[in-house]
Amino acid sequence: MTSKIINNVLKSGRTVLTEVESKQLVAEAGIPVVETKLAQTKAEAISMSKKMGFPVALKIVSPDIIHKSDIGGVKLNLANAAQVGKAYTEIMAAAKKANKKAVIHGVSVQKMAKPGVEVILGMSKDAQFGPVLMFGLGGVFVEVLKDVAFRIVPLNRRDASQMVREIKGYPILEGYRGHEPANVTVLEDLLLKLSDFVDKNPQIKEMDLNPIFAYKDGALAVDARVILEPRA
Amino acid sequence: MMNLAESTTQKLERVFNPRSVAVVGDKQALGYMWLRSLSHFQGKVYSVQIDPNELPGIAQLGVQNYPSLKDIPGPVDYVIAAVPRAVAPLIVKDCIKKDVGGVCFFTSGFAETGTEEGIRLQQVITDLAREAGLLVIGPNCVGIYNPKIGLRHNPVQAYGEGGTVGFIAQSGTHATLFTLAGTGNGIKFSKSVSYGNAAILDSTDYLEYLKKDSETEIIGMYVEAVKDGRSFFQCLREVAEKKPVLIWRGGESEEGARATASHTGALAQSSVIWQTLIRQCGAIKIDNIDEMIDTVKALLYLKPAKGNRVGLIAMSGGQSVAIADTFAREGLRVPQLSQSSYERLSTFFNIIGGSYRNPFDISSSFLMSENAISNLANMLDVMEQDPNIESIVLELFTIISPFSHDLEKPDPLLDTILEFKDRTEKPFFTIVTTAHRETLAIEIRDRLTGKGISCFPSFERGARALKKLVDFYRFRREQHLN
Repeated sequence: MTSKIINNVLKSGRTVLTEVESKQLVAEAGIPVVETKLAQTKAEAISMSKKMGFPVALKIVSPDIIHKSDIGGVKLNLANAAQVGKAYTEIMAAAKKANKKAVIHGVSVQKMAKPGVEVILGMSKDAQFGPVLMFGLGGVFVEVLKDVAFRIVPLNRRDASQMVREIKGYPILEGYRGHEPANVTVLEDLLLKLSDFVDKNPQIKEMDLNPIFAYKDGALAVDARVILEPRA
Repeated sequence: MMNLAESTTQKLERVFNPRSVAVVGDKQALGYMWLRSLSHFQGKVYSVQIDPNELPGIAQLGVQNYPSLKDIPGPVDYVIAAVPRAVAPLIVKDCIKKDVGGVCFFTSGFAETGTEEGIRLQQVITDLAREAGLLVIGPNCVGIYNPKIGLRHNPVQAYGEGGTVGFIAQSGTHATLFTLAGTGNGIKFSKSVSYGNAAILDSTDYLEYLKKDSETEIIGMYVEAVKDGRSFFQCLREVAEKKPVLIWRGGESEEGARATASHTGALAQSSVIWQTLIRQCGAIKIDNIDEMIDTVKALLYLKPAKGNRVGLIAMSGGQSVAIADTFAREGLRVPQLSQSSYERLSTFFNIIGGSYRNPFDISSSFLMSENAISNLANMLDVMEQDPNIESIVLELFTIISPFSHDLEKPDPLLDTILEFKDRTEKPFFTIVTTAHRETLAIEIRDRLTGKGISCFPSFERGARALKKLVDFYRFRREQHLN
């Protein structure tokens, strides 16, 4: 059965999901994701923050702004209502400055997640072999060193296990120099869930779950970006 | 009802093992290469040619000629067509009427040209053949090689004795070169096929066929692109669990960067995904024809590798350093031997002008020793017994050729190596490196190969083949643990 989120986005003539939509879809795939709500006013942002508990993060939500932090559309570690209010105003101003015509849904409000080992899970489609998954450590490891591993969907347990161990940075997941190790089995589980979800939802064209915080007892997706195939 | 893949495999069985072959359009300009290639074919050979100028040449080869396929009296299992491209649709129609098993088009000038007429003609033959269920190999290829029955596509290819290696190649040159060079390296073939433009049958169909072919135990492939990547992936996964599959993918460097919106999309270039495919399926990645030869040779001739720790025996100090560096660079380990091995070595190994830590430098204990042969036998046995060693490599060099020069005489060194090769439980091979006279090195390599002793022409090639063997068996073990 096709996801309701996918249907709604396609109906509205878009292929790029917003952060809030992307996270809802990731949650549908069975992957733990940080609770994220859409606030359309400053007052809403403040009341949501209070309910979630500080510190929180605010991010611009607009289908026309993809690289949110580049334009000043992301504010992290907001410790109280006053900081949230100020951040809301600044983000809105930055977004309008960056793109006057941008359609702005509001800002996303989310509780700051406990830091863990940053990993990235991704999905894209190969012209010959169809959907593939990518795994790597987050940040510079993926962006500069391109230390990533791929597998073609569907993955089995052995694929997931070999994939996680294939990256050069694997020792970091095992707990490098006294840092807490990540639970590798949990990461394998996430890969298998994502493989299954992608297999069942061919409308998905590309996905980045970046970063995911990996802990010794679990993992939590902190940001997500999903792009759909254009409607046939 | 039989599924499509099943029926294709059954039809391919007829085409790969024909009892009658017809060549359409062979001619003087080609040196009658098709009919000459079939000079040792065990079944019936027919020619189809209407050009009167070509008929005497065909008659001279002792082949019966007919004006059309339909005029051939008996059934025809396999047709090789070397006709002008405009005639190709007519040949397909005749093949259908004659109910042949399949046709290989050597003819080129189709979709590969990128021209409107070429693409159109390929579509015409594809539509005709598909509707009638006729198998088309190619066009733009050299088709099938089955040495056991003398079905060849080159007059120089070996015939009479079949082997266990199957080869599937998009390129006709690679199919020809690998089957020829392979033969010179002690590789014998079950079947090979070059399939060109893959109008009807693609690599997946041939892979599926060789998966089921009981004569084929190892499969090599040269491939540039596949039409249905999903079914190729599934097929490769199944085959590689049963038989080693070596994949040489051509055209890697032509990949352009794609514009994508995600990190994942930007990093997932086609060449990266091909590497992923090969690794995920447990196939063996090959980068050139030498690697194909070396790795097939290793799979054929060497015992299964249990791990990456290698014992190296070199003829001199300089070579012992070079061989250890090379094997380590390729990702193999050159460990210390066990204490008991060192104790045993100390009883006969001359360390003045030599060394036995691993690598061994055996100049004083072999090249300059009266007990050369027994020393070498003992050294090999030490390696065999040592639990730290999982593969054994012996360098033989040509500066001072340790072999007898008279090829007719029994050679004690060759016998010692042969005796060890037959009894060792570990992968064991020799390396004969560059010589002052390359023909001398070739002569020694051929002598070893002739005895079934695996021999590589450089440290790099030996090390790389061993690494691929080690990785292959490790993947197999992991597979069976899961």
